[in-house]
Amino acid sequence: MANLRVSLPGLEMSNPLMLASGIQGGNAAALHRVAATACGGLVSKSIGPEPREMYPGPVCVEAADSVILNAMGLPNPGADVFAELLRTETFSKPMLVSIFGGDAEEYALVAQKLVDSGAGSLELNLSCPHAKPGSRALIIGQQPELILEVVSAVRDAVDVPLYAKLSPNTTSIVDDATAAFKGGADGLSLINTISALEVDPHVGRPVIGNLLCGMSGPAVRPVAQRKVAEISLAMLRGELPDAPIIGIGGITTALDVARFIQLGASAVQIGSALIWEDAAVFDRIHDELAEFMEVQGYADLDAMKGIALDSLEGLS
Amino acid sequence: MSRPRASPRERPQGFDLDRLANSCCARLSTAYSQRGMIAAPTPVPVLAVDAEAEAVVTVWVRVPAELAHDYQPGQYWMCWNPYDSTGDMDQPHHHSEKPYSVGDIRLDQTGVDTATAADTGGSGTALLGFTIKDLGKQSGELTRIQVGDWLGLRGPFGTTFPPLRSGERLILVSGGIGSTPLHMAARDVRMKHGERVTIDAVMGFQNKAEAHFIDRMEGVCDSLTVTTDDGSLGTQGFPTNVLPDLLDGCDVASTLLFTCGPEPMMRPVLQMARDAGIRGYAAMERYLPCSIAMCGLCMVGDRLTCTEGPVMEGEWLLDQPDFGHAHAH
Ligand SMILES: Cc1cc2nc3c(=O)[nH]c(=O)nc-3n(C[C@H](O)[C@H](O)[C@H](O)COP(=O)(O)OP(=O)(O)OC[C@H]3O[C@@H](n4cnc5c(N)ncnc54)[C@H](O)[C@@H]3O)c2cc1C
Ligand SMILES: Cc1cc2nc3c(=O)[nH]c(=O)nc-3n(C[C@H](O)[C@H](O)[C@H](O)COP(=O)(O)O)c2cc1C
Ligand code: FES
Repeated sequence: MANLRVSLPGLEMSNPLMLASGIQGGNAAALHRVAATACGGLVSKSIGPEPREMYPGPVCVEAADSVILNAMGLPNPGADVFAELLRTETFSKPMLVSIFGGDAEEYALVAQKLVDSGAGSLELNLSCPHAKPGSRALIIGQQPELILEVVSAVRDAVDVPLYAKLSPNTTSIVDDATAAFKGGADGLSLINTISALEVDPHVGRPVIGNLLCGMSGPAVRPVAQRKVAEISLAMLRGELPDAPIIGIGGITTALDVARFIQLGASAVQIGSALIWEDAAVFDRIHDELAEFMEVQGYADLDAMKGIALDSLEGLS
Repeated sequence: MSRPRASPRERPQGFDLDRLANSCCARLSTAYSQRGMIAAPTPVPVLAVDAEAEAVVTVWVRVPAELAHDYQPGQYWMCWNPYDSTGDMDQPHHHSEKPYSVGDIRLDQTGVDTATAADTGGSGTALLGFTIKDLGKQSGELTRIQVGDWLGLRGPFGTTFPPLRSGERLILVSGGIGSTPLHMAARDVRMKHGERVTIDAVMGFQNKAEAHFIDRMEGVCDSLTVTTDDGSLGTQGFPTNVLPDLLDGCDVASTLLFTCGPEPMMRPVLQMARDAGIRGYAAMERYLPCSIAMCGLCMVGDRLTCTEGPVMEGEWLLDQPDFGHAHAH
């Protein structure tokens, strides 16, 4: 049987399949429920400094085949409640705790509280607006200076491994990654959702309650793969430090998992696929992946890691 | 850029609402035949609004007949109200989407010559009725919705009640707007088994003004007991006060109980059923923000209400400490 184990900073996992942030993972019952599947690890809902309510609906819909749109509004119980959860609950799988804030100081504060309560590794959700007055439209993850500021502040505040979760809605994901590593990130997660908008032509208005939304699901997978490849190639060229990449975006099968790993990812996260199969999707993909590796003759994940980069290496 | 406003309430004179409803119905039909469900919020114009009681209305929309035919009692639709609080669409952050179960289904007689309908097989459409009680923000706006207004639909989602067998007895216990799925359950059982099943219903309301669906339930049930908190209609008290009379002496092996209403009512109802040795099922009315297993905010015990509910087994629910409390919707 192929060995699916993955060993990343702060994450010793039995396999590379992780729950993506924002999918069910904002409370203990839901996290335990996913942990009980064959997944290798969990990522919590992004936790901010204060509790936040949901945006008005529709908050998440399947707008067309393979196209998932959402604007939940980062509803979360807040750092204090989640810190209490971390103190009282033990999960059967390793968990990356996802955090966000309005500015570097808030990120650092949330990180501190959660690490003090037992968070063993953090994912920094950088796809949220900067709270600077007059800059509502400014997404932190779209400004390398702000990425650097936020990651550095969290790096100074806590000792645990940090994964910077990058937005695909930028000009150069390599520049964003450079800033994240300069700030002290130990790894990268990508991609978050792609900026999107859907209008209903009968009603004549946007469908999502928040009007603007983010896109995920199978349709974004090729975009995510390209971004992962750009990072991996920059690592091969020595322009970025050699650090783990967690691939995210539209994964629904073991073949998709293999695609990301062959482009250099060490693990993957799965979100939208739970719409069609709920958490049992981890059981299916786990078995499929074991079978795929067996059939291909891959003894472990390293045996196929980055192989698809060979033909891309000449590109820059 | 000069542009017309997205304000469908101002439609041109002589506007053909029927034709619009048919065109939306065709859109539903295409989506439904591809996926067996409506995944994206799809608007349909409201064709009729019936007042049922104080602050309770039934909103009727036209849907493809197969969609009405396939609907299973207890399942819900996410209903999108695309208007903002001023009744227009130019304010963000006011429109909303909430789950509603179907309260009634009617054959669509529009454009059907009743003399020949039996030969032509009808028009291929049906009317779906959502019965909504004004309990807050979205439901309040929906109770004021007008003919011609848009209602967006996606669904159906969720679980249904277990089937009955001929010769069995069904006890229904509703509280307030919990009437809707139980009416559909009773109607379904009656249509499948005719007089070979016995259906006894208890409907609890706060008062007479809120009471609704009484004629509908009398039409499909063998007996109906109404209770009101203040005694303004039927027996004064809660459904739990009259339930023992129904449970008393019934054949436990061939009796099922379905309940829907506030959780503080459903817990004792299910407990009484369990104590009597009767299998009970509840249709849960939780806050379901996404309905598609994404947000994780609808947990009861270790289950998601949106996909593993709303209909859940009483035996299981009674073991969940987080079942039975009042909830924000
Ligand atoms: C499967 C299912 C089927 C349903 N079927 C029907 C149906 O057929 N008909 C029907 O009318 N409804 C039905 N509902 C309920 C419906 O989905 C809505 O919950 C209901 O209409 C209230 O929505 P609202 O936006 O008007 O209320 P809200 O504005 O959300 O408020 C509802 C109530 O909760 C209180 N409340 C709101 N927020 C809080 C809070 N944070 N803390 C404490 N209290 C709070 C409000 O004061 C109010 O009393 C169903 C629900 C489910 C899950
Ligand atoms: C409903 C929903 C909520 C999400 N919430 C978050 C979140 O809180 N934090 C975050 O970093 N990403 C969030 N995401 C993005 C996902 O973690 C993931 O990056 C994206 O959906 C792409 O993966 P997928 O196609 O497998 O869903 C959310 C996505 C969805 C669909
Ligand atoms: S309503 Fe969102 S997971 Fe159930």
